Amino acid sequence: MAERPTFSPFWHRVRAMKPRLRPHVQITRQFYRGRRWHVVRDPSSNQFYRLNPIAHEFVGLFDGQRTIEEIWKIVLERHGDAAPTQGEAIQLITQLYNSNLLAADVAPETEQLLQRGRERTKQKATQQAIGIMYFKIRVFNPDKYLSWVEPLFRPVLNRWGFLAWLLFMIYCLGSVLPEWETLASGVDSVIAPANWGWLIVVFIVTKGIHETGHGVICKRYGGQVPEFGFMLLVLFPAPYVDASSAWALPSKWKRMAVGAGGMIFELAVAGAAALVWKSSADGSLVRQIAYNAMFTASLSTILFNANPLMRFDGYFILSDLLEVPNLMQRSMKMLQYLWKVHVYRLKNETPPTSSRSEATILVLYGIGAMCYRVFLFVSITLAVMGRLFALGLVLAIWTAGMWFVLPIGKFVHWLATGNNIADCRARVIAISLASFAIGGGFLGMIPFPDHRRASGVVESVEDPGVFFGTAGFVETAHVRIGDVVREGDPLVTCSNDQMVSRLAQLNAKISEARAVEQRALGNDRQAEAQIARESLHALDEQLVYLQERLEKLVVRAPRDGTVVGQDPELLVGRYVEQGSAACQVIDPDDLRIVALLDQREAAWPTALGSKNFKSEVRLLSRVQDALPAEIVSIQPLGRELPHASFSAQGGGQVETGQDEQSSMLAKDPQLKMYLRLSDAGEGEWLGLPGERAKLRFTLPDKPLLVQWLDRLHKLVQGKVNI
Amino acid sequence: MSQALTKYHALHEAVRSRRRKPEVPKGLDSLATKAVVKARNLRARPAWLMAQARLSDELSPTIRGLAEAALDEQIREVRDRFVRGREDDALVRRALALTREVARRATGEEPFLVQLKGALALYHGRIIEMLTGEGKTLTGSIAAPLIAWKHKHLHVLTVNDYLAARDAESRRPIYERCLLTVGAIQQEMDSAARFDVYAKHVIYGTPKQVTADYLRDQIRMGQLLSAWAGRQQLNQTGSGPLVPGLQACMVDEADAVLIDEGVVPLIIARSRQEDEMSEVYRTASALASKLDEGPDFKIDHVKRKAELKRRGEHRLEQMFDDLVSTGEPIWRATRRAEELVRQALIARYCYRHGQHYHIVDGRVVIVDEYTGRFLPDRSWEHGLHQSVEAKEDVTVTADRETLARMSFQRFFRSYPFLCGMTGTAADATSEMEKVYARPVVVVETNRPLIRVQMPMRAFRTSEAKWNAIVDSIAELHAAGRPMLVGTRSIAASEFLAERLSNRGLPHTVLNALHDQEEAGLIAEAGHGRGPGREPSITVATNMAGRGTDILLDDAAREAGGLHVILTELHGAKRVDRQFIGRAGRQGDPGSAQTFVSLEDELVLQHAKELRALALRLTKGEEISGVPIVNRLFREAQRRSEAHARRGREAVLRQDDWMEKYLPGA
Repeated sequence: MAERPTFSPFWHRVRAMKPRLRPHVQITRQFYRGRRWHVVRDPSSNQFYRLNPIAHEFVGLFDGQRTIEEIWKIVLERHGDAAPTQGEAIQLITQLYNSNLLAADVAPETEQLLQRGRERTKQKATQQAIGIMYFKIRVFNPDKYLSWVEPLFRPVLNRWGFLAWLLFMIYCLGSVLPEWETLASGVDSVIAPANWGWLIVVFIVTKGIHETGHGVICKRYGGQVPEFGFMLLVLFPAPYVDASSAWALPSKWKRMAVGAGGMIFELAVAGAAALVWKSSADGSLVRQIAYNAMFTASLSTILFNANPLMRFDGYFILSDLLEVPNLMQRSMKMLQYLWKVHVYRLKNETPPTSSRSEATILVLYGIGAMCYRVFLFVSITLAVMGRLFALGLVLAIWTAGMWFVLPIGKFVHWLATGNNIADCRARVIAISLASFAIGGGFLGMIPFPDHRRASGVVESVEDPGVFFGTAGFVETAHVRIGDVVREGDPLVTCSNDQMVSRLAQLNAKISEARAVEQRALGNDRQAEAQIARESLHALDEQLVYLQERLEKLVVRAPRDGTVVGQDPELLVGRYVEQGSAACQVIDPDDLRIVALLDQREAAWPTALGSKNFKSEVRLLSRVQDALPAEIVSIQPLGRELPHASFSAQGGGQVETGQDEQSSMLAKDPQLKMYLRLSDAGEGEWLGLPGERAKLRFTLPDKPLLVQWLDRLHKLVQGKVNI
Repeated sequence: MSQALTKYHALHEAVRSRRRKPEVPKGLDSLATKAVVKARNLRARPAWLMAQARLSDELSPTIRGLAEAALDEQIREVRDRFVRGREDDALVRRALALTREVARRATGEEPFLVQLKGALALYHGRIIEMLTGEGKTLTGSIAAPLIAWKHKHLHVLTVNDYLAARDAESRRPIYERCLLTVGAIQQEMDSAARFDVYAKHVIYGTPKQVTADYLRDQIRMGQLLSAWAGRQQLNQTGSGPLVPGLQACMVDEADAVLIDEGVVPLIIARSRQEDEMSEVYRTASALASKLDEGPDFKIDHVKRKAELKRRGEHRLEQMFDDLVSTGEPIWRATRRAEELVRQALIARYCYRHGQHYHIVDGRVVIVDEYTGRFLPDRSWEHGLHQSVEAKEDVTVTADRETLARMSFQRFFRSYPFLCGMTGTAADATSEMEKVYARPVVVVETNRPLIRVQMPMRAFRTSEAKWNAIVDSIAELHAAGRPMLVGTRSIAASEFLAERLSNRGLPHTVLNALHDQEEAGLIAEAGHGRGPGREPSITVATNMAGRGTDILLDDAAREAGGLHVILTELHGAKRVDRQFIGRAGRQGDPGSAQTFVSLEDELVLQHAKELRALALRLTKGEEISGVPIVNRLFREAQRRSEAHARRGREAVLRQDDWMEKYLPGA
């Protein structure tokens, strides 16, 4: 804990001042975690300052008559040790004075005032530059508009209104949920380029309603909304209003209501849109717009606005709910404090809070926000890079600079010149280097499993199908799915009465022909006998053919293997055409997986040799089992797809041409590899031919840094000529 | 009328000066400042300066032949052009040749070529480094007329009143010949006399005096922002500012004034009579004496801080409880009471009698660490002074409250024109460039330096060191060498004097206690063995490091010149170099040697761990020449310098912060 020296060498500068708060300054009382605070607010500039009760008492004594010295002595007498020290009092006065909340009897120098203004502008510009992901453009002052709108909503802006809203939301949910399937399937059509125009219109309208929501509730509770504008969220314009005057509201529920106002209004719109969507005719424009509205108003609200890890509505609501003001900034301070105290072992550090529970919140939130920041950075830049590479790169470099390089630079500057570490700088630098080395060593030296993924399709070397050789009614099924059969084993027996009768007929004809022949021979009518013999011959041929077909009424296994596919039992009693599939008999040894790898991944399978990495297969039918597999062969690069399901149209990930001819040709050459299960147990087989499979290759362990660089390299590869 | 006009002029200039708000550049700006200084140095680089000096030197023969009246005529002409701001390089060269001739005729000293170069460097706003005894005063006095013509008022600041008065007198003929008036500010002057002096062209003084006058003016002017607004007040009260603004400044002993003085800001304070606290300080001192170092508290000697441990806090709380019955409210407020006790601990353990302060006539007087002189009108802030008084059991004076404060750095930066001279600026070049944006130019010596620097002797204990010092003194004394022995504190000088007396070595002591005899002692310090006299041994604190040169007599020169012994390393290398520079001036023979021990304060405070290492790695009493030992002392001095530098930076930063953000003036 830092010492609090009573005296300050600068006291003489403020000692004789007779300050008073500027007349328009407003002070409201707020409670945070059971403690009383006083928020001093300048409505003209929207500057805030938070005072603890003793500081408030100190400031409260500013009347333009007493000098600071007198006031300080009064407070000292009343509160003893708890009273602000001279240094703290100076701090307080300086901040109030420099926020223009304090009027002193000293005439401020014009130069100084201008300087202050310049500095504030500069600070704003810096903030803008740092947050290019949230670039703000001010448009107009919406106060007039809100003053007009607010009375319209006033009757419902109370707890009954909120209750009604809740019920309405429940009703909407209840009515839409049963149609979830249709609802979910519509997402593709929203993202489709044809819909973008409507999407943008709807987005602007719903967000306008959202901001109106904030504004109206803020006005309702007596706040002001001086600014409306657009924020470029990752270059996508999103409207915003400045409702920060609500921070001075005494009740935390009201503050939260202002924060949540946008979402309340927007969700109401989403609910109404849902009802319209449900009752409108399929394919109509109204339905499309309603769907768009429902989609943007609900999804964006839940994904962005409600997310407390970004500085949007959810953040301020959470901050008020937990009663932890300045959550983000203070949680970063808290983490820094912990690091300084426990790793650098610095003394004289003041934690941002003295309350245990608040400290816990700060730590948890700080860690969450930091992880989220990294996640957001990686995912956004990757997403943008995927579409617009150059822009993504610029965004990535800029944001990385502002979020990571700048803080690191500041940290290094602090290490080099920080005054609080002046007498232990060597140690602090050593610890920093050591932790950097440990972190670097962890990432750069310690090997971690390296996985690569690919998708594949099961196929059989030979066609596994078993077909009915003859049409007929299925009589009996001799096997069930999963039975192991040997070549020639009967699988299904069919009956064909027509053929049986034709056989009898044929036999009769043959007997007849024989009889005719005998008779003719007996009568020595040679010519007649010759005719009969010939007819007999033809009949015999017919008989052989028929018998062959009759034979085929019993479907036999074409090879040793396992019965898969449709269950023959299900066919019993049904009439089957000749050539229709009976079932499949597969030889597990004949099954394999064909997989495609992007050409950028082509290096390692060939370089490493298939013995040096492990392959695992997860079949879509049995995702829970990771089956060990081995690579049988690797085909050179080619563009032909082995299976339609690889193409983007077929649900795969390989981009192909759009038209009929090129739909089976990949845009970029692909590496084709065949894999087999390495040790298929008894009765174990590899799914069904045509089944999709996910492959995971475990490469030799590599340090994370090497892996990341490799991936980054591959991401950049092909987009930039390196 | 003219008096009123002068006053209005003073007010006008003072207001203009205060509107200049010098700020220390930060971050990239500071790099940029350095770059600009370097770039500016490109034009007036040493070679160019030397060439200009040579050209000026070529003018000398003609000027030397001028009749008195013709010389005066030329001076008037040159001055007029300077006053109008019409000077160019050729005119500067001519003006310099003229002032050189004036100096020759008025004082009989003819400046050398290198001094012309130094003067030119001064005129171009440089800090020049000239070795001790190379005639800094003369160099300054031929450059000063040029600067004074151009900038109207020139403040020549030096380390003490005595030097200011002496230089003002000795240089007066030069200035008066150059149509300039001259005066010296002395401590005992009243404000009317000061006003008259400040109205002159060339003003000699000490930074303390001038800064204090300037600061008092600031207080007096209050919030005044234009001279016009202040004229009414001026007419009514008749009391305007003393200092007519800050225009130009030449600093003698620039390192001492610009760097060393920067540690403590100048504070104008008045006694606060209303609170009677002396009993409280006495009690706090008594409480502090009951605590034990180690279990109860820890002292940080470098930062001069005391940290109470839990046991100490516990014991104190009980003591406070007993004291509450006395009715003194302070003992009820634990934090404030603890603060008082901590302060008493600091007074007890960090401030030593005879080193940091001395008791003179029942008063605690601060001793300046760098000059070894008393600072009678200065006191420590926020009750520390009272704590020391309570510890020494003298009358506890009333607490003082600050009325205004200003760092010397800020003050000097307020001058639009600043130049300086020093014996040792090279160590502080970076700081000069960063803080004052003044480049440093080294001016070569006129005659080569033949001082012998003997290797440093190091000892394990201070007892051994003192024995060796006394032996060394005895030996060289027998050889007939005059000697100057430097000690870091008054106490050390007295201690050594006692030892010398025991050995029967005749000596004189020069420290703040004997400062009246200073001039006489310095005049005697260079005597060798003569009829009826022994070679002089002068034991002195840093007081002898600057000021009047020690002149050698023939016997001393024959015996090998002055020998300087340093009995301890000072916290800053510059101060040591300055002191050693007393020997071997202007081509005289001389030698110097340093004695150190592992028990010196410098080592104990700044290089504890290296000291432990050195103790383990070495054997025997004398450990001279061991690499680790040399390394140890260098490192300790480096750290001490870094610590002092950080202190100065902090002062400056606070000052800037105050100016920028604090309301009021």
